[in-house]
Amino acid sequence: MTVALQGIPRNTLVWLLVAQVLVIVPHLTHLPLWIVALWLGCVAWRLRIFRMQANYPPSWVKAVIILAAGSGVYLSRGGLVGLDAGVVLLIAAFILKLLEMRTRRDALVVIFLGFFTVVTSYLFEDGLVAGTYSLLPVLALLAAMIGLQQSRLFSRPWPALRLAGSLLLQALPLMVVLFLFFPRLAPLWSVPTSAPRQTVGLSEQMAPGDIVELSRSAELAFRASFTGQVPPRDRLYWRAATFERFDGRRWSQSVASRLPVAPQWSPAGEPVHYSVVMEPSRRPWLYTLDVPNVTGADAQLMPDFHVQRPTPVDAPLMYRATSWPEALRQPTATPDTLARALELPERGNPRSRAWALELRRDSVDSEALVAALLTHFNREPYGYTLRPPPVGDQIVDDFLFETRQGFCIHFAGAMTFVLRAAGIPARIVIGYQGGEFNPAGNYLTVRQLDAHAWVEYWVAGRGWVSVDPTFQVAPERIELGLVEALPQERELFDETSEALLRYRHIGWLNDLRLGWESLNYGWQRWVLGYQDEEQAGLFQRLFGSTDWRIPGLVLVGALAVGLAILALLLLKPWRREKDVQLALYQSFEQALARQGVRRQPGEGPQAFAARAARRLPEHADGILAFARCYEAARYADAPVSARELAASVKRLRRELPWRKGRSTLAE
Amino acid sequence: MRSQLDACLDAVNQVLLGKEGQVRLALTCLLARGHLLIEDLPGMGKTTLSHALARVLGLSFQRIQFTSDLLPGDILGTSVFDRDSGQFVFHPGPIFAELILADEINRATPKSQSALLEAMEEGQVTIEGATRPLPDPFFVIATQNPANQGGTFALPESQLDRFLMRLSLGYPARAAEKALLMGRARRDMLPQLEPLLDHAALAAIQDEVERVRVSDALADYVLRLVEATRSQPQFAWGLSPRGSLALLGAARAWAYLAERDYVIPEDVQAVLPAVVGHRLRERSDPTELGGGTLVQWLLREVPPL
Repeated sequence: MTVALQGIPRNTLVWLLVAQVLVIVPHLTHLPLWIVALWLGCVAWRLRIFRMQANYPPSWVKAVIILAAGSGVYLSRGGLVGLDAGVVLLIAAFILKLLEMRTRRDALVVIFLGFFTVVTSYLFEDGLVAGTYSLLPVLALLAAMIGLQQSRLFSRPWPALRLAGSLLLQALPLMVVLFLFFPRLAPLWSVPTSAPRQTVGLSEQMAPGDIVELSRSAELAFRASFTGQVPPRDRLYWRAATFERFDGRRWSQSVASRLPVAPQWSPAGEPVHYSVVMEPSRRPWLYTLDVPNVTGADAQLMPDFHVQRPTPVDAPLMYRATSWPEALRQPTATPDTLARALELPERGNPRSRAWALELRRDSVDSEALVAALLTHFNREPYGYTLRPPPVGDQIVDDFLFETRQGFCIHFAGAMTFVLRAAGIPARIVIGYQGGEFNPAGNYLTVRQLDAHAWVEYWVAGRGWVSVDPTFQVAPERIELGLVEALPQERELFDETSEALLRYRHIGWLNDLRLGWESLNYGWQRWVLGYQDEEQAGLFQRLFGSTDWRIPGLVLVGALAVGLAILALLLLKPWRREKDVQLALYQSFEQALARQGVRRQPGEGPQAFAARAARRLPEHADGILAFARCYEAARYADAPVSARELAASVKRLRRELPWRKGRSTLAE
Repeated sequence: MRSQLDACLDAVNQVLLGKEGQVRLALTCLLARGHLLIEDLPGMGKTTLSHALARVLGLSFQRIQFTSDLLPGDILGTSVFDRDSGQFVFHPGPIFAELILADEINRATPKSQSALLEAMEEGQVTIEGATRPLPDPFFVIATQNPANQGGTFALPESQLDRFLMRLSLGYPARAAEKALLMGRARRDMLPQLEPLLDHAALAAIQDEVERVRVSDALADYVLRLVEATRSQPQFAWGLSPRGSLALLGAARAWAYLAERDYVIPEDVQAVLPAVVGHRLRERSDPTELGGGTLVQWLLREVPPL
């Protein structure tokens, strides 16, 4: 019986069951419930097998279970192909293999399946907690693997765990080296991402109600770290896109703003340097302050000064940018651009149009008109609320003259409409405003509830100028943030923002939250964000070249040196002669084993030779001759060459019959 | 010289019947310059063995009966005022013999025990400020009753460690006991034993024992044994380096007695129970020196190759 076919020691079973729990737990969020039932059943059965209260399942039972599991996956996931179904199938196999695990080889299969399943969990969740947690199942799997190699006399599982832990610790430096230097290869095949999650975020067109929905979610939008001082809150207008088209109800992006034609602008004032890690948004937009120069991420500045990349952001993305907030934007705009910024529907909202013309008459120039408009918002009883009263068909008229209660998009929309009606090119900018400063990590957290809309209008010579009508109505929205601005509308926020709000005033709890968020941000920025570009930067600093072949060579060289040292330590070439002796002794043992004489584990060479000579008296001379020869070479340091020893064992092998004869069998 | 040793063994075996293995181990212990602890019930031939060994090896013999009122001075000796010279004159105690039988050592108080054990360790005694060397060779055979008998002070591990070997003579086989009953009184036979070795020859043999070759492969086996005692969970603690040295030294002497000038794993295995049995304890039962099953485990599981 070879080692691979021996039974599974108790320790291994214990650690395998523990590992299975640990491997499956992070998958629970996307596993069908029947998998858990299947798993509990298999564990119970396996334990009964171990206690000898049950038998291994017969083949037909196994076939039925496999078919049932397969169809279960098909029914609950609508197919057997795809990431979700694949993972469920993998886990089902991982669980079912428990039942047919008889030998060490089977246990090894389960262990390797377990390692693979651990890796698949990264496809669903790759945060700091998930990453750190995955060390636990790896530890348990290692312990199971060690248990497999231990003597069956071992009944206590802890030594295996301790050894696994120390192995894992020893692997840490290697892990760091590989993490830093291993080239980031493009995937050989594309991994389908997990089912499209319901992400909230800015969308390509908006009716006034939409952004209100967004404002109830405390979900993370992006985080930004600044080099140097963080700009004051009222300067933090993060542009995502602009809306130039208005159909009487909805505002949306114009086609022209999606054409990659860089607008004309000139930097002025102090630049702001920052880097952003954004969450998947399913939109191609990158969030930037005006006017940005973004490095990496294939980003491009679009004609309306928003930045986007060719493909939607489906995974966390990191980019660096430098912005000139005081830059002069398009001081001479093309007629096309201006025409787009003046477009209005043919009909509708007559009162607003009339009021616009009135304002036009009363004002000397565009800036005076804008000032008058802002003063109007400030003086008149407008209200800022997340619960705007419903408006009729003439949405601008109704809002401006009837309800007067609205959210940022209402004010921005109404102001843009009035400006356009007065003949001033204007558009809505959407994006985020403000954010929460995290002193623990010195960065800014921007959530969906920071979504905002404001206005920019164009003046010949000055270019585009941003104004925020919301600031006139509710300055606390800009200065403190949405949550602080609307204390009486708390019930509108979702649970997370609710909690955020409630505990924000408990100092230590808030510090704890900020610290934890900062840790997560660091993980995203330095671990997940450590991709090609960062790696190239590190190489540049270390080796003075971004060519990955040099670090590759260094890595391979270091690996080769490490392996060579390991090989020297393990194989001990200076003791080569001895190892030849041992190999020859093993072939001597094999020759005798074929005759049915096996050496006991603790039996010394002389005792064994004596016993073998008694068992096989007709070959006693050969056996004892070899034993003497071996003893002299190995223990007396006598000048017996390996060749003499080899000749002796060869002679004996030739003497012995190929298989043990009938007579010895009868013993 | 080995023939002389064989003659020694034969002579002792004629006095102590049916205990060839133990006699051989006892001689091994002596050749390896170690001290011997015999743990057995009274009347099993402990005194006979030690006395016979002393006779055939030509060593001066002293016996100290340990009792609960024994004082260190009774072992080491005392200074007595001599009226004629008007000075204190040192009267050496029984420890100044070459072979000492410390009988029932665990019946004495720890204070007296340690007086003997310190002398064993250092090869000299310091009495009233004067350091006096002990004779060479110096060999102690201590006997002790099984610890669970009443009125005994069990030796602590640190002192057990000073004995190279622990033996148990055990009941003789039926045939041997019959020969014992039919034959002459053993004690009468002792004076007839002739010294077969002199001091110089014994010292030469002891030196030769130290030169018995230990190959790399064999040292590895000893290391594997020692590591097993240190790493395996059933051992309460592992063997000390003194223990591994003792094991190798005893194996050398055993190999020498077997007329070899190199050690093979079987030598180590032969002395293993006697050398490490009293140094090991089971984790499950740390109060009892139950080295027996542990030694069997070592012999069975640790690969000698």
